Amino acid sequence: MRARVKEGNLDTGKKAAAVEVGRLAVSFGHFRALDGLDLRIPAGLSFGLLGPNGAGKTTLIRTLAGLLKPQSGQVRVLGQPPSPQVARNIGYMPQLPALYLELSALENVSFFAQVYGLIQGKARRAAMEEVLRLVGLWERRGDPVLRLSGGMRQRLSLACALVHRPKLLFLDEPTVGLDPELRSTFWEYFHDLTHQGATLVISSHTMDDASRCDELAFLRAGRVIAQGTPEELIRAVGKIGASLEDAFLYFARRREEESVTQ
Amino acid sequence: MSPSRVAAIALRIVRQIARDRRTLALIFVVPAVVMALVGASFPESAGSGVLSYLAPALLAAMALFFAFILTGVSFLRERTQGTLERLMASPVRQEEVVLGYLFGFSLFALVQSFVVLLFTIYVLDINYSGALWQIIVFQVIVTLGSVNLGIFVSTYARNEFQVTQFIPLVIMPQLFLSGVLWPVAQMPRYLQWASDFLPLTYAVRGLREVMLEGRGLKDVPLELGVLLAFAVSMSALGAATLRRG
Ligand SMILES: Nc1ncnc2c1ncn2[C@@H]1O[C@H](COP(=O)(O)OP(=O)(O)OP(=O)(O)O)[C@@H](O)[C@H]1O
Ligand SMILES: [Mg+2]
Repeated sequence: MRARVKEGNLDTGKKAAAVEVGRLAVSFGHFRALDGLDLRIPAGLSFGLLGPNGAGKTTLIRTLAGLLKPQSGQVRVLGQPPSPQVARNIGYMPQLPALYLELSALENVSFFAQVYGLIQGKARRAAMEEVLRLVGLWERRGDPVLRLSGGMRQRLSLACALVHRPKLLFLDEPTVGLDPELRSTFWEYFHDLTHQGATLVISSHTMDDASRCDELAFLRAGRVIAQGTPEELIRAVGKIGASLEDAFLYFARRREEESVTQ
Repeated sequence: MSPSRVAAIALRIVRQIARDRRTLALIFVVPAVVMALVGASFPESAGSGVLSYLAPALLAAMALFFAFILTGVSFLRERTQGTLERLMASPVRQEEVVLGYLFGFSLFALVQSFVVLLFTIYVLDINYSGALWQIIVFQVIVTLGSVNLGIFVSTYARNEFQVTQFIPLVIMPQLFLSGVLWPVAQMPRYLQWASDFLPLTYAVRGLREVMLEGRGLKDVPLELGVLLAFAVSMSALGAATLRRG
């Protein structure tokens, strides 16, 4: 059924995959958070993971980042299983900012730059200035994180994920808590990144984010229930004026009917 | 293994602790206060002999105690605030994290040992024989072991309360059974046997040999060897359990 949505999308099929996941199962104790999840994310796109609370978006991203061990199934990021070597080319922004509160914004960014191998002082300084200007924190770079607002911490967390110019970015709800102006700025930058060849995997609840993605996967109860471009997904509903929200509900209902008839 | 990543982690930890005035004060003032209290609470009649017998043991006990608490709590914070997980999503390897933490915390633990040492020697006016550097060697090895013990224990604690619950479990038996307060030889046989398994026993014994008897490091190979083995095995354990929790 997922294939039917993908049919019209021939050119993404040709592109190399940045992420490939097959029959992925991840459990917490007896609870299956991901339950036979299949997903292929083509390189060079902004790819949205959309789904309600508890759908498994964060679990999927943490698994792709190598933080959770799959129970079963296949995981390939940039063609390899997750490892410290692949991590070099990956940026990760957790759902909750994981920053060093006593350190300044600049020290946080600098730390992550070093950890990701930006050792040379000059290159590091240039990269740090670029990302801190992007998130609008250059003027506040000397402030300890403790003195930054929630949204500013979110922005700093993004800066830390971007500083080493990764090829593949996992962003777990990067736009939550941002004002509309900043959200637009972020999306412009995200599109710049994909034009430069980077792949962005972005989880979100909001239809605003979803509509800006090149391609989307709907997640529900640990599975992908549909994948395609926003237009394709909306078209599948078969109603004029349908929204992405309608599309999600349409696929969720179809999934339910399928499981009843089985 | 990347030295620059280890250095980045160590420097980060030093910065974090140095920013926190209260923790800094705690690290440097409390050991001196404890030593002063012990010194003042001893009856005159006991003479300086008891205090000088106690001083090496207190040095070892404090190195063990403070580095353990400091590491346990800091590491737990890294776990609960998600910064450890964030770090594990980077190219960093587990050994690099352990080494980074080790160097970072060791710096403070060492400075702390110096405070205690100088206080004992100059303020409490306790005579010791033996060279200062030999005492430092002991303190460094004890600190390494206890930093890693802190990392290890933090994997089994869910919050700060639980870390403090490890104090009676890990620290108190060692204080009572390792010859800090009374000689091991005066305890019942089975407790003597138990004390053979406690690292503090060897630290206390070795430091007493060095400080009171004026022996050199080559005279206490068993004590040094056991402490080194403790530090190494704790490091391995710390690295193995890093990702948990
Ligand atoms: N550490 C954990 N222990 C136990 N269960 C967990 C854990 N983390 C997640 N879960 C469960 O796994 C399921 C998926 O959680 P996940 O965090 O991946 O959802 P999400 O799609 O990111 O939701 P949200 O939009 O709220 O962030 C949920 O039912 C959640 O309760
Ligand atoms: Mg989530």
